[in-house]
Amino acid sequence: MKIKEDSSTKWFRLLAYTVVLAGSILCLLPFLLIISASLTSNEAIIREGYNIIPSDFSFDAYKLIFLIPDDVIRAYGVTIFVTVVGTLLGLLLMTMAGYVLQRKDFKYRNFFSFFIYFTTLFGGGLVPYYMLITNYLNFENSMSALIWPSLMTPFLIILMRSFINSAVPDEVVESAKIDGANDFVIYYRIVMPLAVPGLATVGLFLALHYWNDWFHSALFINDAAKYQLQFYLYNIINTTNFLNSIGAGAGVVLSGPVPSESMKMAMAVVVTGPILFLYPFIQRYFVKGLTIGAVKG
Amino acid sequence: MAGIQKKAWALVLSLVLALSLLAACSGNGGNNEASPSPSASPADGQSSEGTTGIDTSKRVELQLYMLGNAPKDMPKVEAQINEWLLEDLNATVKFNYTTWTDWDQKYKLLLSTGQDVDLIYTAEWTQYQQYAKNGAFLALDELLPKAAPALQSFVPQEMWEAVKIDGSIYTVPSTYKEYVTGGFVWREDLRAKYNLPKPVDMDTFEAYLAGIKANEPDMQPVAVGAAVDATLEDALLDFYRQNVGALPYGLLAPYKDPSNMVNYWGSAEHLEDLKRFKSWADNGYFSKNELNETESNQDKIINGKAAALFSDNPTRFNSMLNQMKTLHPDWELGYHPFGLTNGYATPVHPIHNGFAIPKNSKKAERALAFYEKLVTDKRYNQLASYGFEGTNYTVENGYYKPVGDNTTNGFVREASNSWAWRNPSFMIFEESYDGIQAIFDELDKIQVPDIYTGFAEDYTTYQAERAALEQVMKQYLFPLMAGQVDDVEGGLQTFMEKANQAGLEKIQESYKQQWLNYLQEKGIQ
Repeated sequence: MKIKEDSSTKWFRLLAYTVVLAGSILCLLPFLLIISASLTSNEAIIREGYNIIPSDFSFDAYKLIFLIPDDVIRAYGVTIFVTVVGTLLGLLLMTMAGYVLQRKDFKYRNFFSFFIYFTTLFGGGLVPYYMLITNYLNFENSMSALIWPSLMTPFLIILMRSFINSAVPDEVVESAKIDGANDFVIYYRIVMPLAVPGLATVGLFLALHYWNDWFHSALFINDAAKYQLQFYLYNIINTTNFLNSIGAGAGVVLSGPVPSESMKMAMAVVVTGPILFLYPFIQRYFVKGLTIGAVKG
Repeated sequence: MAGIQKKAWALVLSLVLALSLLAACSGNGGNNEASPSPSASPADGQSSEGTTGIDTSKRVELQLYMLGNAPKDMPKVEAQINEWLLEDLNATVKFNYTTWTDWDQKYKLLLSTGQDVDLIYTAEWTQYQQYAKNGAFLALDELLPKAAPALQSFVPQEMWEAVKIDGSIYTVPSTYKEYVTGGFVWREDLRAKYNLPKPVDMDTFEAYLAGIKANEPDMQPVAVGAAVDATLEDALLDFYRQNVGALPYGLLAPYKDPSNMVNYWGSAEHLEDLKRFKSWADNGYFSKNELNETESNQDKIINGKAAALFSDNPTRFNSMLNQMKTLHPDWELGYHPFGLTNGYATPVHPIHNGFAIPKNSKKAERALAFYEKLVTDKRYNQLASYGFEGTNYTVENGYYKPVGDNTTNGFVREASNSWAWRNPSFMIFEESYDGIQAIFDELDKIQVPDIYTGFAEDYTTYQAERAALEQVMKQYLFPLMAGQVDDVEGGLQTFMEKANQAGLEKIQESYKQQWLNYLQEKGIQ
């Protein structure tokens, strides 16, 4: 039997749908603008501004990008490599850390947890960080500078710890021990399979972080062949911004190719497009991840 | 309580341990590097090569840092240069580029963290004067005759004098003479079409803007952009009030009487000028949304959205003109340098482009010797400025001609940002450069020295106030300049109140004192 809805529920539904609809349209609009601008001729953008429907349709921007696409392809390669390697390595390290930190028989677990947690409150700042990477670790201009710094995030370690804590009862570990499993076997045969949802969440957070990272390229990479995708895009925009901001007195004239407005937009589409299509499929893990994060820390 | 204390001790202990580990690493790192000890060089004469009086027995890799983005073919150019350099100086060089993303932060990090940097670009807009004053660079006075005698004699003595900060040379100036002074830019074809006056002063400029507004309602008469402090205030002070340079903190010192430094902000003149900008905004000469503009003013001229620029330099004007001509052959641009109205023009100060050696460079001698090659050796100089002849460019009738266009050519003219190692005798220009040369020739007749750029401000005593003032400017002065405040007088009063709270008076007083000291020291009246 169907429960009859009263009118207030209906009204609430209507209101909720309207608000959500309006919200999603507001979110969609910028994307539409970017796509339409990338299909507009540059001259029309500068003269008339952005329009939802291109006022002067042209594929020139895409033609120019794909005339010599090696930069974009290389940047894609770097980002994919860094994301895959970084996520796998990071997951391995963080699950191990999380597993060890939640074992009740690890005497100093609270001290080490605090030690990790401490770094979220107090950091050395940019200059010591920079010196550590360039002068002591000598990571400058190598993939290491892109992968190492983000491998372990305190927040994710603590998330992993509390997830394993709640998903794997102590008794399971104990019985495995009685059956003769050593600590590492327990880790990868018992704990890992039970912690798959946690793995998915942490892995997603990590992968997203690597995918969106531009800062490490900006600081540590001088070789254009090793730029991450996001940095490649960001740097193009920054080059134009620099040209706009530098006064006439500096007398700087850049002779290299400076991308036009429509080219910037086309670049944004090329760079964000693929991940945008991937997003609907992985979105549900995000929702799950957020609820995992809500479990006690 | 005891538990917490114990934990805290453990924490401190582990921190100390971690630090000592790092320190150990640094010790090793230092030893591993091939660093020629400075004391050994002049003594053993056998290893030094004939022309240069420096020790080149050990092979080194030099790290050169330039701003901006590296051109695509830079690795090939670098490989060729290294081939020559190994033979000449037993060294290789790596051209590093900072990109334009957070370049100022990166620049600071490069100089302050003791990284391996041997040559770095300097200019007044990268704060050469402040960095030199704070000891970021190596003094070159004694190194020059030993490591780069040819370079020392190549750069005129007065240029060496001009780049001195506190009595020492910290950078190798570029000898290419150019003007980056301002001038009106307008659409000559439209001016002729509507029979408008040629902009030579404020009145004719405003008449031109009014004429465009009346006849071309779809066009924005003048492009200003978000940086209104530079495009409106600095331009007006430069042209109309003949300021000695783009002085900070609302100070004004006329070029003809530089010791007479006055507070411009809050003065009657300031109010008058703000009202002028307000009238421009009210008349629709520029957009109400100007502070949020992201497109460049130059692009707006090229594409016919705007009809004038208040101020731009000859080089940029010329590149604008050429880009516009390729899109719209029938359009014309006019240019009137401010100098022709004011009767004087200042060529760029030697500080404007240069290369310095950071203080912690361990290969200073070789770096300077290499830089000498880069400037005075034609092979090095042209390759590092224009790429490979035949592949990247050809020379026709003495003019530079690129192969292909911007997207296909991996090294267009000066794409390596070779501003600092320009050598006038090796430079090849595009045909369109004749337009700039014509302007320069005119300005040469009325040239006077730049007396502002040599001044090195020391803001350590008012650093906090300086940062606070910047915020106040953005919040209260920018909307005033962009004509967004209806009550100009009241708005100016609010701005002055806030600026004084931020410590404007303290800043101005200290700056003035330093300025007067500088004038006295240099003997400028």
